[in-house]
Amino acid sequence: MRVQPVLSGPSGACCEAEPSIHAIYDPETLGRMAQARFQEERRLDRLDGWLRIKEIQRAADGRLAGQPPMSRAALTLQAMARELPLSLSEHAVFAGSQDDAFARSYALINPAFKVDAFTGYCDPTAVFGDVTPNAEFPQARISALRDYAQTLPFTRQLQAAYALAGDCTHEAVFFIEQVTGHMIPDFRTVLREGVVGLLETLHGRLQETEDPARREGYAAMGQALEAVLILASRYADLCREQQAAAQGPRKQALALMERTLRRVPARPAYDLYSAIQAFLLLWQVMCLEQAPNPFAFSVGNADRLFEPYRRLGPTSQAESTALFKHFLVFFNVADRSWAISQNVLVGGRSNRGEDLSSPSSYALLDAYFAMNLPQPILSVKLHRNTPPELYRQLGRFFFTPGMLTPSLFNDDALFQVLARSGIAAGDLEDYAVAGCQEPLVMGKDNGNTTNSWLNLAKILELTLQDGVSAITGQKLGLSHAELGMPARSALERLGTLRTAFYAQTEGMVDRMVAAANAASRAIALLPVPFLSAFMGGAETGIDTRDDRAQGTTYNGSGCLIHGLSVVADAFVAVDQFLAERPKDAERLIAALRTDFVHDEDLRQYLRACPKFGNHVERVDREARVVAQHISRMVAGKRNYLGNPFRPDWSTPSTHLLYGHWVGATPDGRKAREMLGYGVDPLYGEADSGLGFRVLSTLQLPFELMNGGYASHFGIDPAYFRGPTFEAKGLEFQTRIIAPLFFGQRSEGVAPFYLYVNVTTPDALRRLLADPARYAPSGVYIVRIHGTFVNFLDLSPEIQQDIIQRLDLRSTALA
Amino acid sequence: MQLRVFQEGFNYAQDGPGNRLVYHLQGCNLRCPWCANPEGLDPAGTLLVQAEWLTEAVCPHHAIREHRLDRSRCASCTPRPCLHERRNQGIRCSARVLTVAALVDQARRSAPLMFDGGGVTLSGGEPTLQFRAVAQLLGQLQAEGFHTALETNGTHPRLPELFPLVDALILDVKHHDDAVLRRVTGVGDAVLRRNLARACAGHGDLRVRIPVVHGFNDAPGDAERFADAFAALPTDRATFECLPFHEYGKIKWAQCGLPYRMGDGALAAGTLEHFQAVFRARNLRVVET
Repeated sequence: MRVQPVLSGPSGACCEAEPSIHAIYDPETLGRMAQARFQEERRLDRLDGWLRIKEIQRAADGRLAGQPPMSRAALTLQAMARELPLSLSEHAVFAGSQDDAFARSYALINPAFKVDAFTGYCDPTAVFGDVTPNAEFPQARISALRDYAQTLPFTRQLQAAYALAGDCTHEAVFFIEQVTGHMIPDFRTVLREGVVGLLETLHGRLQETEDPARREGYAAMGQALEAVLILASRYADLCREQQAAAQGPRKQALALMERTLRRVPARPAYDLYSAIQAFLLLWQVMCLEQAPNPFAFSVGNADRLFEPYRRLGPTSQAESTALFKHFLVFFNVADRSWAISQNVLVGGRSNRGEDLSSPSSYALLDAYFAMNLPQPILSVKLHRNTPPELYRQLGRFFFTPGMLTPSLFNDDALFQVLARSGIAAGDLEDYAVAGCQEPLVMGKDNGNTTNSWLNLAKILELTLQDGVSAITGQKLGLSHAELGMPARSALERLGTLRTAFYAQTEGMVDRMVAAANAASRAIALLPVPFLSAFMGGAETGIDTRDDRAQGTTYNGSGCLIHGLSVVADAFVAVDQFLAERPKDAERLIAALRTDFVHDEDLRQYLRACPKFGNHVERVDREARVVAQHISRMVAGKRNYLGNPFRPDWSTPSTHLLYGHWVGATPDGRKAREMLGYGVDPLYGEADSGLGFRVLSTLQLPFELMNGGYASHFGIDPAYFRGPTFEAKGLEFQTRIIAPLFFGQRSEGVAPFYLYVNVTTPDALRRLLADPARYAPSGVYIVRIHGTFVNFLDLSPEIQQDIIQRLDLRSTALA
Repeated sequence: MQLRVFQEGFNYAQDGPGNRLVYHLQGCNLRCPWCANPEGLDPAGTLLVQAEWLTEAVCPHHAIREHRLDRSRCASCTPRPCLHERRNQGIRCSARVLTVAALVDQARRSAPLMFDGGGVTLSGGEPTLQFRAVAQLLGQLQAEGFHTALETNGTHPRLPELFPLVDALILDVKHHDDAVLRRVTGVGDAVLRRNLARACAGHGDLRVRIPVVHGFNDAPGDAERFADAFAALPTDRATFECLPFHEYGKIKWAQCGLPYRMGDGALAAGTLEHFQAVFRARNLRVVET
């Protein structure tokens, strides 16, 4: 392992005499350049870099066949850093790009997305079908890569994992996937000490350990880190080349960029500009390592990451904002910002309760507001003592039509949830969020967050129909007899529904866990030494994905659980049905099987039964019991490293996908209709206003949801009457956040996540009817679960989902 | 004791201070043509219908044909299968019967939402039609520390007995002329005037509300006559709010099977501001919630 980085050109001598970026460009110019850079990125309608990466990997596989897996991965990463073509836009003030790590694949922002396209199998080679052949990449070249990928041990092992699941994934009884991305690296040490410092640490550990596996790990991580030094050097050389033809400020800027790249990330960052530059290159290499499509990596607590360097500068808020604009543009890949769900967090509290917002928090907010980009996600951490100024600043986000809105997290509650699940007290303030809403401790937590997906509504359907799918007629579950509960009549079957449902679920969960763990073992065949260096691997010497030894401080596997409101409402409806019309039991079973086609009256009866979200005590209690029971069931299962699965009650558009595979249910829902979103009432069923909806929500056992959950309010802006955005921001705090997050509670943990769309169905329909008028820029940002999207980029089905789920009667404030 | 309730929900600052749990009690002695809650008029409760969901199978007594309900058959029907074993989205009864204890319990469970000095408001309909139960409920709520508010048309002769149980008293004064009021709403203002005077003199938080409706009380001189009537009373502890006519409840008239006889009640631009200016000129404390 090499300790000294390869540096070419000037050795990064002191730069005090040279102009800073702020002396070359004022904030307004930097802002215009950021806008131009974004527009340039949006014009990209091809992403071929990842294909080159696959070719590099294929070649490396042959060349490095004798190397241990981690070293092979690290040396392959070095090859990528050496061989990928680099470019530098005239509008860029930072070097770096994610474009080579992503394909134009993500379904939800693909206008061709169809709910019924779900295949039940996460095929790692399907991405090759997302490329349109051209002269440079003809079909033969693409097919060759695909064919090669299909021969890889990882692909074969993943197929075997799906074989364990059998037919259950085809109708979304449950689903599994190998998790890529979805982690939060901790770059604080490397920014502070430089890659050279980290290499020295690794070298020291290599000297101290005799364990061959760890020695391989340390060595491989060191090799992987050299990839970023190679990349920095190449970008520095590119800056030098471009200086020859440049003039004036651009020439100065290129000279500054070159000098900076000669110093960072090899050496410690020394101001905000150098910290951001170092960060971007580290991020770029991290994504290359998992190309294509390592979705949902998170920056973590970005304001805390960058504030020390802003102070070192010092950099004013306006100057910081200007740099952060370029920082945010980096996270947008090509025409539809394909690098989805990368998260940036601001705000929050310390372990002692002190507020941790800073000038960097507000500079990031200013940058977000000015740019209004589809990515990255903005998440704001709140606590009981969040300063009013932060809410004032958030007002413009909530109340400007077409403006991105942040995810909101409740630190006070999440600290309790995470502590309860074993996170050390000293680590709590370092939790951040990966993906949409998964809480993970920065640099310490491989939560394997999207590993498994459970569809309670489908299991309910199978239970009611004696194990047989009402959608296809295929037997996917256990009959009552097979559950040990022989029921001679429909009345008996309905009378023992809960017991049978939970027994059916337990069996399905066991199958899901087995398959999910197999998928995790499959992905372990693809080590990630670069990422591992920032996930505790520099201490442990163990790869983050290792399936035999734990390389991170914390480890788990996520289970996204669907169908809470449908199941709770269904149980209550069946109880009422049995009390009022038991003689119709056979009729109910038949009506469910035939999707109420001949029995609309019965469906109307069921629709009129009480529903979750209206503060009806028995329904709220049912929802609580279901959530408790299933959360405990899931948390009782063990992953590939013996750690608990983490119940996550979120449904990232899968409430649509999975609902498509669920037949009619006893709450009166028709076959194939969507399930409830996250822990929310099924749309249209909570019509008693926000107060009662919140009171219902407060009954749920959030203390058990350590994998996270999803909840959304569609809010009519007309309820907020303040004369300014700032005043409305304070109103939002008073009327929405305070009662939901920080209200008085006698027991349990408060809700800890929310996202909002402050708009109306009419407003969105007007936008669709006349986009040129209502979104002249072509961009109108809305939230869809944990991420922003350009509403105009979405498929019609997803657009209608967003409109329906605004569900304004459930959030009426008067 | 029991109360008949036709609606409940939360409201911020519009029916008392802070965020409030508002119960709308069934039954009213007035018949205002602009009423936004017509389902609350009949003390026995009203069947509300959504025709598109109503099927003939809902009623075994054949009161439903082609999505229309023959209400003449409903008056003597009990128990109503359309509301129980044949329940349907298309028909419901406005009134729910709840015990005072149940309402207090719900208030307790709703306490987390009563922020910014909020509490419980009783409105309607006209809540004083259920006088004894209302008194009991208000008393129990106050005893448990809840802030209480009562919104009333002021026509109950025993209203002042409730003053000690009501932290915020919201009094609706619809017209300054007894004859006009009687002709349009069915009840004159003699009792209302006495209650208003006693409230001005003796209640610490009186909030007078005037619904301003075109063609009813917005003619030239009406604002002045309202102001004259109020200014003659000790109003230093009272506030006055003018509420513009709206039709948010219009659709419910058809759902209740009632004719909507309201013409164009929309105010001309500037009318509300005129009322407010006239009131302020008479040193009346004008508010907007």
